[in-house]
Amino acid sequence: MKLSLNWIKEYVDIEMTPDALSDLLTMAGLEVEGITPVGHALDDIQVGRIVSIRPHPHAEHLTVCTVDTGRERVDVVCGASNVAEGVLAPLILPGGKLPNGTPIEAARIRGEESAGMLLAEDEIGLTDDHSGILILDADALPGDRISKVLGFPDYVLDIAITPNRPDCANVIGIAREIAAATGQRLRRPAIHLESGGPPISDLTSVTILDPEGCPRYAAGLIQGVHSGPSPFWIRYRLHQSEVRSISNLVDVTNYVMLEMGQPLHAFDYDRLRENRIVVRRAGAGETFTTLDGQARTLSPDHLMICDGERPVALAGIMGGLNSEIFANTENVLIESACFDPVTIRRGSKRLGLSTEASYRFERGADIEGVLSALKRALSLMHRWSGGTIVQGLIDNYPRPWKPPILRLRTGHVNRTLGASLSRADIQYLLQGLEMEVEEADANDLSVRPPAFRVDISREVDLVEEVARRHGFDRIPLTYPRVRPSEEGDAPELRLQEEVRSIMTGVGFSEIITYSFISPDSADILGVKEIARPFSDPSGDCAAEAA
Amino acid sequence: MKEQLRELEERALNELAAVADLTSLEQFRIRYLGKKGELTSFMKRVGGLPAQDRPEMGRLANLLKKDLSERFQTAKEELGSRVKRGADSLDLTLPGREPVRGHVHPISTVISEVCRIFSRMGFRVVKGPNVELDYYNFEALNIPRDHPARDMQDTFYISDNVVLRTHTSPMQVRVMESQQPPVSVIAPGKVYRRDSDVTHTPMFHQVEGLLVDEGVTFGDLKGTLTSFVHQMFGSGTPLRFRPSFFPFTEPSAEVDIQCVMCHGAGCRTCSHTGWLEILGSGMVDPEVYRFVNCGPDRYSGFAFGMGIERIAMLKYGIDDIQLFFKNDMRFLGQF
Repeated sequence: MKLSLNWIKEYVDIEMTPDALSDLLTMAGLEVEGITPVGHALDDIQVGRIVSIRPHPHAEHLTVCTVDTGRERVDVVCGASNVAEGVLAPLILPGGKLPNGTPIEAARIRGEESAGMLLAEDEIGLTDDHSGILILDADALPGDRISKVLGFPDYVLDIAITPNRPDCANVIGIAREIAAATGQRLRRPAIHLESGGPPISDLTSVTILDPEGCPRYAAGLIQGVHSGPSPFWIRYRLHQSEVRSISNLVDVTNYVMLEMGQPLHAFDYDRLRENRIVVRRAGAGETFTTLDGQARTLSPDHLMICDGERPVALAGIMGGLNSEIFANTENVLIESACFDPVTIRRGSKRLGLSTEASYRFERGADIEGVLSALKRALSLMHRWSGGTIVQGLIDNYPRPWKPPILRLRTGHVNRTLGASLSRADIQYLLQGLEMEVEEADANDLSVRPPAFRVDISREVDLVEEVARRHGFDRIPLTYPRVRPSEEGDAPELRLQEEVRSIMTGVGFSEIITYSFISPDSADILGVKEIARPFSDPSGDCAAEAA
Repeated sequence: MKEQLRELEERALNELAAVADLTSLEQFRIRYLGKKGELTSFMKRVGGLPAQDRPEMGRLANLLKKDLSERFQTAKEELGSRVKRGADSLDLTLPGREPVRGHVHPISTVISEVCRIFSRMGFRVVKGPNVELDYYNFEALNIPRDHPARDMQDTFYISDNVVLRTHTSPMQVRVMESQQPPVSVIAPGKVYRRDSDVTHTPMFHQVEGLLVDEGVTFGDLKGTLTSFVHQMFGSGTPLRFRPSFFPFTEPSAEVDIQCVMCHGAGCRTCSHTGWLEILGSGMVDPEVYRFVNCGPDRYSGFAFGMGIERIAMLKYGIDDIQLFFKNDMRFLGQF
């Protein structure tokens, strides 16, 4: 997954270079497959204030903006529709170069002099947005470097997440690993909920009919929001993580998912019949239209989120067209839930539909993190789109998490690894990963892993964590005592070797062909086709029937 | 007179050297040695010389006659035998004919080398089926149905329970089922995944390794594989063990070697990381012992697996994996 390094830095101090950080993560089991610099060629771009606007005399879609550069005022011809008097925007003056290398010169555009260019986000190389110029926060000053105002340069890390570590498929998960490895403190986002209005229980309810499929479902409500575009830095972060920006309301759910790992869903409260939520299994053959417009045929493998009358979302996979947020949405119900990994995996496989949400749920979400993600989303939605957060949250938690308590034998750790760690060493290493560690007796430890570590349920899982934290490279090389076998090598292999030697000796060359044959060859040989596993359009490997 | 004799000798020898068949050889005999031949008439003229010159000139003329007669005989024999053998006469100056040399496929060469290195360490080479039960390929390796780890390998299913093996790891289970520790085996073979591009073919080769005994440690894994890498890629090749995930080993480690192209500086081959992944490895997961009836309390061990095509590509600088199976002699002839 791709994450902005500056975003990670919000939660942990990082004093090393991106290359050194990439090595550190890779050696902690989070392989960094790429580091892409972003916003490294912004030197020629500064802040300009649009002082006044007049229509272009010869072109309907253009305006001539008088722009304060901080030193002087210049006229700039601009085609964006969102220009407005008083706003601040990125500006490049003649003689400068755009990040993609394009030189900017003073030019006459349809007969009017233009001494520079006001820029859209894609022209600065930060997102792919070209809907208008980038409007900057009002606290910037004309003449400031744009990199200073927007907090660049940045790097985007492409990190390979192994299937056992869903807890690292988000910014805080990565920050947590960095904090553990460097001894820095992890800073969680501060969440302030200013709520008002009626209590949530007056407005909605959640009924879980399948607690195995849905062990926890929490919901919050925000009223009177204003849908619109998200702030630049939200869109920038989503864009770098390859998530499309939709609107401030929808972006909140994706932003919090990328930040904390909890998939969320936003419903238009007023489109939920009876304004309530019911979680149940789908019936065989039940159909449902997901928000991508596809009609899906379901089976009891699928879990449905319903309102008082009908399904409104395919649980853990995708929302429904009938309840999605739209431009006029005023009241939003946010779902923060936990679903059974196998149910989501089967449901997603059956439909051939894999999403950011299903990816996380099928690997295992943090059931104890459900509420903090919900609060974070409510507070961000309130900040970006106004409205009032309804008092209280619904938290339906029929299958509470029971923390596993694992015994870890110091001797076993050292016998497995070939290391000589003391119990105190082991205790220290595990505590860095937010595990609760106590002395069980004279030699052993009793360990309680946090809920987000869905991969830790056995002693050996802890041994691995100790090895990973201690560093594989610090375990000394030793050589096993290999006892000679009474049996020799497989006779077929020895024969194969002999035939190869004789035949190449008399001038034959060895070829290796695919084990597959084409259906035509199978017909000639009279072989019955038992499976059709593969076809190769190029025809280079005749590989159809096995 | 002496001058004439020398001139006669020179002419006769030149002419004899140019003789290529029996007919012209006979003409040569008649011209010089015949009754009316030039040498015969020269000898007749010796009689007319002053007495004191006669013996000397006679002796020289006789010597020449004897010499030419011998040369004539030799030439006659040689031309005669050449006629008998016909046109296939032996020409020792022709260049030798090169024997046709067969070529071993580079994949076989690499497999042999890997097996040789581990054989020397005491590992036994074994073999397993290409068409494998889902049980051995997945279940017994701690990859249950509905587990995301199945996504790591796109499988050819023959039926619900039968697959083309996606890795050589099923051999770990098969070997441990058939024998009690100590176990030390390697298993080379073909594996199959639904994938085809410049770095993937639907069939490729792996070598699996397994060592289980009392008291085997992660340090032993590091020592064994470090020794292998140094024998395979050259002693002193930098390598690293990087934490990773496989459902059937824990702790799991990928083994990277320093990029053989750029020596760690960063290039296209290593995606600018300076490292190349060449081996997956780890300590055998306790779950796997559960399937084979051999206790994790008493035994421990490590397993590893490597892709042969990848190693061959690095070793020989090949950038398209499809070349291995096109069987073009212009390619195979280079090995």
